[in-house]
Amino acid sequence: MRAILIWLTKWGIGFGAILLACGVATIWLGGSVSLPAVTVRDGTYVVLDRYFREAVPRIVLVGSSLTSRLRDEYFVTPGVFNLTVTGGSPLTGLEIVAGRPLLPAVILVEANVLSRPADADLVERYAKAGRSRPWFFRPVRWAVASYERWNHGPESRARVAASLDALVRQPPDNFDNAIYLKRALNEFEADDPTERLQFNILLLKQLLDSVEKRGTRVLLFELPYEESLERARFAVISRRMVHEAFPEPDRWLHIDYPREELRWADGVHMDERSSILVSRLLERALSARLGSGS
Amino acid sequence: MTFTSWQFGLFVALVFGVYYLPWVRRFQVQWLVFASLFFYGFGQPELLPLLAVAVFGTYLFLILTLKRRRIWLPFGIAFNLGLLAFFKYKFLFLPPDKLVSSGAPLIDFLLMLPLPIGISFFVFHNISLLVDLTKRDQPAPNLGDVFLYIIFFPQLVSGPITRAEMFMPQIVPKRFSDVAFIDAAKWIVMGFFFKLYVANNLNEMTAYMAYPLYQTLQTQDKWLLVLLYSYQIYADFFGYSAIALGLGLLFGYRLPVNFNRPYVSSSFSEFWTRWHISLSSWLRNYLYIPLGGNRRGAARTYLNLMIVMGLGGLWHGAGLGYLLWGLCHGLLLVIERPLLPYIKGLDSTPLLPVRVGFVFLCVTLLWIFFKLPDFDQASGYIAGMFTPSVNPNPTKIFYNLALLYSLPVMIQHLPVTGHFKQWRSKAEPYLYGMLAALAFLEAGPESAFIYFQF
Repeated sequence: MRAILIWLTKWGIGFGAILLACGVATIWLGGSVSLPAVTVRDGTYVVLDRYFREAVPRIVLVGSSLTSRLRDEYFVTPGVFNLTVTGGSPLTGLEIVAGRPLLPAVILVEANVLSRPADADLVERYAKAGRSRPWFFRPVRWAVASYERWNHGPESRARVAASLDALVRQPPDNFDNAIYLKRALNEFEADDPTERLQFNILLLKQLLDSVEKRGTRVLLFELPYEESLERARFAVISRRMVHEAFPEPDRWLHIDYPREELRWADGVHMDERSSILVSRLLERALSARLGSGS
Repeated sequence: MTFTSWQFGLFVALVFGVYYLPWVRRFQVQWLVFASLFFYGFGQPELLPLLAVAVFGTYLFLILTLKRRRIWLPFGIAFNLGLLAFFKYKFLFLPPDKLVSSGAPLIDFLLMLPLPIGISFFVFHNISLLVDLTKRDQPAPNLGDVFLYIIFFPQLVSGPITRAEMFMPQIVPKRFSDVAFIDAAKWIVMGFFFKLYVANNLNEMTAYMAYPLYQTLQTQDKWLLVLLYSYQIYADFFGYSAIALGLGLLFGYRLPVNFNRPYVSSSFSEFWTRWHISLSSWLRNYLYIPLGGNRRGAARTYLNLMIVMGLGGLWHGAGLGYLLWGLCHGLLLVIERPLLPYIKGLDSTPLLPVRVGFVFLCVTLLWIFFKLPDFDQASGYIAGMFTPSVNPNPTKIFYNLALLYSLPVMIQHLPVTGHFKQWRSKAEPYLYGMLAALAFLEAGPESAFIYFQF
């Protein structure tokens, strides 16, 4: 029995030493590095953690995975934050932003995919107090994140802009997306979002009302789909119902998309070049709208 | 109630605490049977009657077989295979979406029942019981002991498949002072580490192998993920088996070791002596040898190998993919068998890594049929491994993270030399403590044990 106790004591020392080291390191370093996003969910946490860590931005985008392609660095204007929950609903981001004490000046809400419910788990975790800091960080992920940051450190804004400009100057990609498009079309034709939209539109109205009362300007926008998807059942019903619910032209940020320049790698989501073009058009439309004072 | 849940931890603590109380010693078997029934019923209470039917039925056939083996043994085996066939393979012929009411509520209820967890394992236990205990003229064991052998909770859901002649003699009163605590702790810590740190983290990455996600992967990443899945399935099942072994020791039962560094096998026949050892031993003892084994000429041996591996594949699941997986392994064994003496004749140190690498590659590629049991999806994935990817937005896989999560499997498979062995034995308790801490800190998101579905 004595041998067992000695073994277990040594075991406890090994266990405690690692835990203590990670506990101290969490206090010292915790939150300084975003852990690598292995899954879509991880990516969501990274974005939301960053939103809570940084100063309140001037403009926030909330949307579905369609909007997630419009990365912050594609916008020339500083202070744009894309708070999109990939694979989720624009309502999730909007509810989380609405739950914060300080709001951005402008919120842009994507209106394409309003049929999905808000992610209750994420809203619960972030809307009120923000994500609580864990007691211990994940040492392996932290080491990988540090290595990635050291190896691929952030580039200067000018350098990023130059590489994006170079990409935009290239001709549109000719990737054959027929298989993906066919699958997306089948899904779009099979889905009738009417019931879900009725509920979510009501929730959206409440949220808009609540943030606008606090002085934030909210505009809706639509992103383009590939031509055949625009005519599919899901897109047609969604567009009709959202426009019926929000008929005021002032509520919308209208953008004329150069369709011949745009490509959808998987039939639904835009490729990088198209996303840059759309981000810049969106930015221009927003400046025009805010500049005109309407 | 999975092994990695807090409820299970509480359950084990309670069962263990009561088990060694002095006034419970006379009822230890009954207490473990009760605990095992609670464990099984916690997940699928509606299937407890099935478990009871399987045990009582097998016990009845055991009594009858002890009287007239020649007549009753085939019936006992058929009864158990019938249960397995009905519950596991009914959906091959009756897809759930095409089931119509038969008008008889009991038949409808049975047809609609889900696959009972662990049925593949406890049916094999039952057959082992019928065969092993009736070889010699001996009195029938009591019902409580039979119950314990079949439903002992650490091995009930996913094995190891313990032979009756190995388990039954261990059923004697147990004392707290005899518990092999250190061995039990080592197995349990190792098991949790491989499951939580390796398998659950790799599972996040290999999730991209699912259809249609895999179409977003680059070609080289498709290869990488197959490799990672190979490590994941090992870590997952080794982890489960190690926890089961450790728990068995806590209650005074030594269960068979299920894995012995399978990815260092230099032949396919060696692989099957190192991977899921309890299943391959069962198939050898209760199927391959009764079929004639290798005693009836080369052609019959090859046929026996194909039958055993094909059925072994189907044992994992009712699907073409599993059958194909088993048959491919059978074919590899058949091709290898006549060549093995020549290869061994050429044996040299430089050739060994090539042989090990080749066996590992083939075994790893065949795991695709496990990950994607739908044949069309599996063949689509394999085709994608040999076609350049043109997707402009491929999924990003962190290679360094993949390496760090796979590393324990690689290290475990390395040979241990004398000097390192000496150092390791001194540092062992500290290392196990660190592994436990790492499993706690770096645990991947909860995912079911892969072998639970079988």
